[in-house]
Amino acid sequence: MDIFLTRLISGMTAGSVYAMIALALVVVFRSSATINFAQGEFALFTTYVSWWLTQHGWNIWLTLVPALGLGFVMCAVAERFLIRPVRKRDETAVLIVALALFTGLNGLAGWIWGSDDKVYPRLVPIGDDSFLALGGARLYYDSIFVVLSLVLVVGALSLVLNKTGLGLQMRAVATNPESASLCGIKVGRIFMISWGLAGVIGSLAAAILVPVLPPGQLGLPGMFHMLIFGTVAALLGGLDSVKGAVVGGLSLGVGLAMINGYGSFFGGSISLTVALVVIVVVLGLKPNGLFGSRRLERV
Amino acid sequence: MSALLEARGLSAGYGQAHVLHGVDLTIEPGQVVVVLGANGAGKTTLMRSLAGLLPYDGELRVDGETVGAVRPDQMVARGVSLVPQGRGTLTALSVTDNLRTGAVGRRDASGVQEDIDRWFTTFPRLAERRHQVAGTLSGGEQQMLAIARALMSRPRLLLCDEISLGLAPVIVQGLFETIRGINEEMGTALLLVEQNAALAMGIASYVYLLEVGRVVQSGAAESFAQSDSIRRVYLGY
Repeated sequence: MDIFLTRLISGMTAGSVYAMIALALVVVFRSSATINFAQGEFALFTTYVSWWLTQHGWNIWLTLVPALGLGFVMCAVAERFLIRPVRKRDETAVLIVALALFTGLNGLAGWIWGSDDKVYPRLVPIGDDSFLALGGARLYYDSIFVVLSLVLVVGALSLVLNKTGLGLQMRAVATNPESASLCGIKVGRIFMISWGLAGVIGSLAAAILVPVLPPGQLGLPGMFHMLIFGTVAALLGGLDSVKGAVVGGLSLGVGLAMINGYGSFFGGSISLTVALVVIVVVLGLKPNGLFGSRRLERV
Repeated sequence: MSALLEARGLSAGYGQAHVLHGVDLTIEPGQVVVVLGANGAGKTTLMRSLAGLLPYDGELRVDGETVGAVRPDQMVARGVSLVPQGRGTLTALSVTDNLRTGAVGRRDASGVQEDIDRWFTTFPRLAERRHQVAGTLSGGEQQMLAIARALMSRPRLLLCDEISLGLAPVIVQGLFETIRGINEEMGTALLLVEQNAALAMGIASYVYLLEVGRVVQSGAAESFAQSDSIRRVYLGY
């Protein structure tokens, strides 16, 4: 039982992170029907900035302010000046620009900060006794913090979407960009803001996940797997559904924890294989995912 | 006084397919204008260019001011609002949210609420379904919603692209009475593209006849209705 609980907790922790990355992808997809494959690298870059500031004596929490702000600006600028000009041509061009951003940002981070791994401070310090005993398992405070962060992000996002004028416009664009523009909505502006918001969510997710998930350090390849798991979670949930991203992320996290835990005979890590299988199964059987409303035709 | 909307030599199309070839068209404030034409004459293309959805060549003026390359939201800001063919309601949003979305350009929150109430009075069936998601409405109700939503921006010109399409005659009759009332009460000019020519001619004061992307005839509605050829082809009697 306690080993099950331990795996459940670690699955929920990882799943919350996947869900947050999935949320970033969902916010972008809802506006512009694009999967931003560079989302993870944007987040990696801002996390490097955050780390660099800690090296200059900044408190880790304080560094999140410029890091998240930079996440907003970078993604919004990328949408406006790199993605939108090629969108008129076709979807393949958008994909290629996203891939260029992916490698470009990674290369830039390496060029500025070097390729050796950095020790990124934990937002919630962990000690010998910073856990709650829970039926024989240890529920560490930082696990609680990760799950709470997800709750906070989902709450804030739902509030914006459902209770504000900006959210109304974002929902209108998600439903039908052309009709939205006929209502007087500046659709381009909503694209930009959506990308920016996704950048904030992604940056926050990265700052939270780096010390918590293996390898536990800040390195150049770090976000690649996260992007894959986030994409799988988003796909599973339906790409345009906030609820779907959360359900998708948590079930992927818990599912992988269980498979890796009880299925050790598969060998070390089959997480990526499982992720691939999930992608194929979802695309094959239920392209709209669990809660999605928009068809996948433009991906 | 300058015309509300004026097109000179308007040409538009989709990629290599040129649909409109130099259309001239004028709409005065408060006027009701009908564009008649067979399938493929370019009626919808005309409406989409006027609404800012399609790039065009030629000149487009609103209140005498040349607008140039323009987006739909900019046309809405200038007082020109389109009810697109196929309705274009925001299917995932509630009826009320659709109406609120129609008013995004406005800053007078109390006026917006007044207008929502007003259209709920005009269209009681929308009021009954105010919390329902638009995609679950019937065709007629969606068309009512599309019209009400376009009016939420308080346009001075309402472009209606085939609002009778696929609807039962009794509903179409009601819709036309409603838009005629809107024209009379609020002075909103109407540009109608209609399959149901007889009905549209009934409320119009000026008619354009479009054939393969060109205006081949235009004139006051009464003189049009008296022309035998027009009657036979478009009015069917």
